[in-house]
Amino acid sequence: MSLPPPAALVDVERGTVDRRIFWERELYERELERIFARCWLFVAHESQLPEPGSFLTTTMGEDNVIVARGRDGVIRAFLNSCPHRGNRVCHAERGTARGFVCNYHGWSFGLDGALRGMHESGAYERTPGFDPAEHGLLQVAQIDAYKGFVFATFDAEAPPLADYLGDFRWYLDILLDNDDGGTEFVGGCIRSVIACNWKVAAENFAGDALHAGWTHDSGARAMGGASVPTLDGQESYQVNVNGHCWEFNLDLVGNAATFGDKRVTKNLRVREQELAERLGPLRARMIGAISSATVFPNMSFLPGQQTFRTWQPKGPHHTQLDTWVLVNRSLSDELKEAYRKGVMMTFSPSGVFEMDDGENWEYSTRSNAGVVTRAQKLHYGLGLDSRIEHPELKGNVFRSQLNDANARAFYARWTQLLEADSWAQVNDR
Amino acid sequence: MGAGERPVSAELAAAERFLFLEARLLDAERYDEWLALLTDDVHYWVPGVENRNRTDAEGPFAPGRMAHFDDGWTDLQRRIVRFTSETAWSENPPTRHVHVVSNVEVEPAEREDELLVHSLTVVHRGRYEASDEALYGRREDVLRRVEGELRLARRRVILAHNVLPSKNLNTFL
Repeated sequence: MSLPPPAALVDVERGTVDRRIFWERELYERELERIFARCWLFVAHESQLPEPGSFLTTTMGEDNVIVARGRDGVIRAFLNSCPHRGNRVCHAERGTARGFVCNYHGWSFGLDGALRGMHESGAYERTPGFDPAEHGLLQVAQIDAYKGFVFATFDAEAPPLADYLGDFRWYLDILLDNDDGGTEFVGGCIRSVIACNWKVAAENFAGDALHAGWTHDSGARAMGGASVPTLDGQESYQVNVNGHCWEFNLDLVGNAATFGDKRVTKNLRVREQELAERLGPLRARMIGAISSATVFPNMSFLPGQQTFRTWQPKGPHHTQLDTWVLVNRSLSDELKEAYRKGVMMTFSPSGVFEMDDGENWEYSTRSNAGVVTRAQKLHYGLGLDSRIEHPELKGNVFRSQLNDANARAFYARWTQLLEADSWAQVNDR
Repeated sequence: MGAGERPVSAELAAAERFLFLEARLLDAERYDEWLALLTDDVHYWVPGVENRNRTDAEGPFAPGRMAHFDDGWTDLQRRIVRFTSETAWSENPPTRHVHVVSNVEVEPAEREDELLVHSLTVVHRGRYEASDEALYGRREDVLRRVEGELRLARRRVILAHNVLPSKNLNTFL
């Protein structure tokens, strides 16, 4: 059975999504080529690469890459695969190194990815036309950073990072630029695997405030002694830019309060005035509010809890979750520790909130094994008439965070990228 | 005296009794009784294990880094509230847990009323009609004698996994 084109699988006007987008291998392969090999992807926070020689390994789609800070202080990213026989050249997930040596034949590469030499190099020196300069590790096409967050793309034609993020930067600044000292990741990374399609997770963070009060009731009771407050009727929004999505209310500390740690909420309340002067009163109240966000395609975060994560695709039915904790550099050690522990208790694989998401996402994916089941369309019609103009909020703005508007925008972007042969055919939206 | 001839010490027998009881309570989700086996000052730690080169001085795990658990008594109690809440939808139908404990060894600890106990744990979870990947870990426990009974005062579990092969940890290890 052949699949209809992507544009026929997502109906943004009526609010329906074809379940096959969460299941079919053919669509997944197309996502790897047209989304993951083309979009700007988060690869590192600069604080993870503090000095020349610092490196980490990660994936862009299913392509494994090394991200390293060179002797010149420049951060580069290149394929973690030897151009000789293809073996991975770095098996550590992070550390410091002078370079990377392949275990197979000793081809060795510098921190800039350039070929430096190999075992029995004399044999190559006598090989006509062998030029080491042509056999380095393949560099990403573009790499750039936005306020500490390093992104890379394999597509030389991708628009500059600033344009790719567009006005979403105005929202990102709430977390990345609310303090002169900038930000850092604390404590490293926790990694786990969820048997779900990567989009199920990315979409949830893009705009699923609805699930919070239901799915996470037990977690909220455990941490705060009470259910998640009713969100309907509060002033709240969904906003999106180029498929990047943020849903939020303006309660300042709703997410942060899930740590059950008064030091964390007090710090935000004490800072509200200072934040309002820097960001304006509206963005100031988003700093730790009940909210979630996804930078298209696969980096998500929770303001307030400060968990940042990527959803790494591992086939159509599996996703690797890498979780970090973002804090302001200037924060006290005591509060940094409170955030590390808070994320661990709430949104990590052992966290009392995260625990319930994985189960839902796995069965939202697995159910589609059934041919009749996956022939059904899913309802994404909440808030079809909720678009508004707002004097201050940037991008596409929708009334109420209880809304499928961001999910629709996420899948509209997904469709556009899968349909387009090149970036020239992709519009800002 | 060869290892095979070594008599089972009273300490080893007591430590095994403790660990096997604990495993049975966890299998049955008898969490309040499990919590009663811990000291008030318990530290329960399951650090994240990183792939780092042997020469890396920072090592695969360390205090202050991300962990699956880095808990005191209150943190554990909060997790139990989640596990036993009527609205913990994903715990219903219940998980079928099997905590296997093996390779138990006992050494003297720093304090006279404590034992340093090494063991291995394998945790199987059957959920709905499926089974999660088994989790493997090496434990290092400190058991303290409190009013004549052994209590868990410190636990460190070093998992054999880098990427946790599961969506969550809805149990204790």
